Amino acid sequence: MLQILQDGPRRITRRARDYRSRTEDGAIAMHGLVGVWLLLAFLLFFLGSQWTIVPVLGFLATVGYGWVRYQAEAAKGMTFLTTIVTVAILALIISFLLLRSLPVFGQMGLDLLTKTQPAGDLWGGNGGQIWSLTPMMVGTAITTIIATIVAAPLGVAGAVFISEMAPTRVREIVKPGIELMAGIPSITYGFIGLTIVNQYLYTEFRTPTIGNYFAAGIMIGIMALPTIVTVAEDALSTVPESMKSGSLAMGSTEWQTTKSVTLPAALSGVSSGILLGIGRAMGETMAATVMLSHTKGFPTPFIDVFGGYGETLTTVIAFEGGNASGLQMSALFAGGVVLFFMVMVLSTTSLFVEWRMEKKLRGEQ
Amino acid sequence: MSNVRKTALHSGESTTSELAAYGVLGVSFAAFVASWALIFQWIDETATFGGLSVLQLLGLCLLVAAGGLVAIGVVSRLGALDTTPSNTAGVTVGVVFGLLWSVLGALLATTFLGGGTVLWIPAALVFGAAGTVASVLPREDIGSTVPVAVILALLGGAIALGRINAGWTWEPAWSSAVFPGSELVPVVVIFGSLLGAWSGAKAREGFGAQGREAGAFALIGTVVFGMLAVLLLLIGFIVVNGLETVLTGAALFDGTLSLFGVSLPWVSFPFLTNVTGGLFVEIPGVLPATIGTLWLVFGAVLFAVPLGVGAAVFLTEYAERGRFTQVVEVATNGLWSTPSIVFGLFGLAFLVPRISGGNSVLVGQLVLGFMLLPLVLITSREAILAVPDEYRDASAALGVTKWQTIRSVVVPAAMPGTITGVILGVGRIAGETAPLLLVFGGAPYPSNTPNILTSFQLTPNPPFVTNEALLSPASALPYQLYSTITAGVFPKDIFTNQQFGWGTALVLLLVVIGLYAIGVGSRLYFRRKLHHE
Repeated sequence: MLQILQDGPRRITRRARDYRSRTEDGAIAMHGLVGVWLLLAFLLFFLGSQWTIVPVLGFLATVGYGWVRYQAEAAKGMTFLTTIVTVAILALIISFLLLRSLPVFGQMGLDLLTKTQPAGDLWGGNGGQIWSLTPMMVGTAITTIIATIVAAPLGVAGAVFISEMAPTRVREIVKPGIELMAGIPSITYGFIGLTIVNQYLYTEFRTPTIGNYFAAGIMIGIMALPTIVTVAEDALSTVPESMKSGSLAMGSTEWQTTKSVTLPAALSGVSSGILLGIGRAMGETMAATVMLSHTKGFPTPFIDVFGGYGETLTTVIAFEGGNASGLQMSALFAGGVVLFFMVMVLSTTSLFVEWRMEKKLRGEQ
Repeated sequence: MSNVRKTALHSGESTTSELAAYGVLGVSFAAFVASWALIFQWIDETATFGGLSVLQLLGLCLLVAAGGLVAIGVVSRLGALDTTPSNTAGVTVGVVFGLLWSVLGALLATTFLGGGTVLWIPAALVFGAAGTVASVLPREDIGSTVPVAVILALLGGAIALGRINAGWTWEPAWSSAVFPGSELVPVVVIFGSLLGAWSGAKAREGFGAQGREAGAFALIGTVVFGMLAVLLLLIGFIVVNGLETVLTGAALFDGTLSLFGVSLPWVSFPFLTNVTGGLFVEIPGVLPATIGTLWLVFGAVLFAVPLGVGAAVFLTEYAERGRFTQVVEVATNGLWSTPSIVFGLFGLAFLVPRISGGNSVLVGQLVLGFMLLPLVLITSREAILAVPDEYRDASAALGVTKWQTIRSVVVPAAMPGTITGVILGVGRIAGETAPLLLVFGGAPYPSNTPNILTSFQLTPNPPFVTNEALLSPASALPYQLYSTITAGVFPKDIFTNQQFGWGTALVLLLVVIGLYAIGVGSRLYFRRKLHHE
């Protein structure tokens, strides 16, 4: 530990000296100036000043001049800058979500996420003093579980079909078809769900309201399906052909090869696909917003997915975000924070799982 | 690996067992399709054929399939059939059948033992164990047919005898909904026929490793077929419902096109060329929304493509693989998976107060740009990584500097992949609605199109250039669809809200599908070009 602490600064100074000796003074001045202009621009923009335009113009002028004089250096600097901006956007999103949700955290404390009583007054009860996200978190959990039950087995089956079973010609039709399915806007799914699925359940199954968790969950599951198929199929097709051929050469059938060689080898990739799909389902907004009834509460018993309650973290933000203020707005931001971190955990886990699979297939483990 | 102990010599003519298995498969498939038709109400559930209702016929199908399965299993076990069964049906089959039997046990207990709340648990356990034992212990030809046949026979019998008919309802205590027989029977038959098809396909290949392969392929094939059918149905449904609205008042040579002062007959397409609201519009259209979507996409691309491609170049060409690139990768991944509504919240908190003070086109463009950025970054990074190192080495060997190599060799070679990625990404953000609700949307039925090109103005005060249209709210196709769904009554008599919604949905779908088709097409084109060169 101490070694690293001592080594770190030394290595950095050495690299800085290296860089200094390889780069012209003018180029270094350009980098510095660009940095200053950008910082200034961001600061002014952050403060909402109308003078933001001045540092932006300065930045453009510096880059323009630098591009003519030291093109290679300028290009390298610009690409570095774009990378920083990408990371900065994520950092900004996180910090603004946290910042805006602080008031409601201060007011409610952990009750924000755990309060379950009194059930009727969890959202704006006590004269706008009580804001609790618990009913919405339960709603998100229910729709996500239903969607996963629909999408995970079907998605894996679809991936196995495309990568292991389908003849080339069929694959060339099915694969773009699945991708297209991912591209159909969620509001369209929601419209169909609203006019057909909701009506069907209401008339045939006599649900108490038009719209319930079950219908929304099924629709979200259909929407999360293509994500799972695409990622899992990618994972299955990266399993080296030699592994499959080896198994086939031993006299196994194709299904035995798929079941005992390909699927286990691609297991991490397939599960990362499922995780991504769950993330998609959790963050899905529009279909749920138009299909659910926007009544907040806990279904009793918990498995009553046909009941009248219907609100998830995403739908409450979309439905009320347009004209909320004060603590309510802050509570919506807190909902965004919960949503963001749950999805972030899922996607980062799936990324690490994928890295592990890459390593494994390259034989480093 | 292989657990085939003996193999059958396949003769030219099909054997009796194969015929029986084909029968089971055919009956299962017919029941499967008919059940879906019932659910979609293409067949009326009260219809009768030859004195039997449709539901009873479905029950008969299950009975026939069960009978066929038992016959094949028993005859094969007696050695009269040319099959190659394994010693056991396997753990997977045991688990699946065990679960099914436990469900059966629970149902029987609650039905016949007076709905005892406690009794169904031991009944489920006992039946589950029995089902597992019955499928795992005997030889495969019995184990994979008889347990499932018993279930099919019980269900089929109950349905065929009319015990469960269209008017029958199941009202479990835990559910607010009731399940009528008219809808429950098709669902049950769908699962039953899938089971029948699985076992039937196994039997057709004479069990054993071959049989399991056939069974798995039949099951997965049916499921995927169903999935694609759902996709086609969705698209077909939108087209059928929206076409009438979209084509209202359209004619081939009704309109005029002025070219250099000459009026030519031209296609008239009021739904695409009219504004939505306003006093003097006879046939309301989606022109403002379409133009709004185009502006949104244009702005997002302008913002995201330079950033994404630049970052991809830096990550692949300049940066060394290490902690920093990993951080960027995690950040990109995070951006990619961030729910769209969260982007909307961010735009609302950070951009709206600093740029326009209210919903505006510019903020919408930026927010969609944030969403497009990770997609562009990921795809162009992959495209740059796919450029062979020989290109870079050859260029370096000629004494060309690194930046010039990147500019004239790497980026052009990676362009096709990047373009494809951008188009696919645009297809995704063009249909994005959630963030637009918070930062972009304006009047539900706009009466004018955003006039962005002509409203640039120079001012003496900073920021020196202003654009009123860019800073005001507008409409976009997905937003238009949402506001049509949620608004109460359509302002004109010519359409109802739902009709207008279907029309908007169709236009939106066409835009998105068009973008996808271009993206997928260009990917195929570039791939072919790459492989044939």
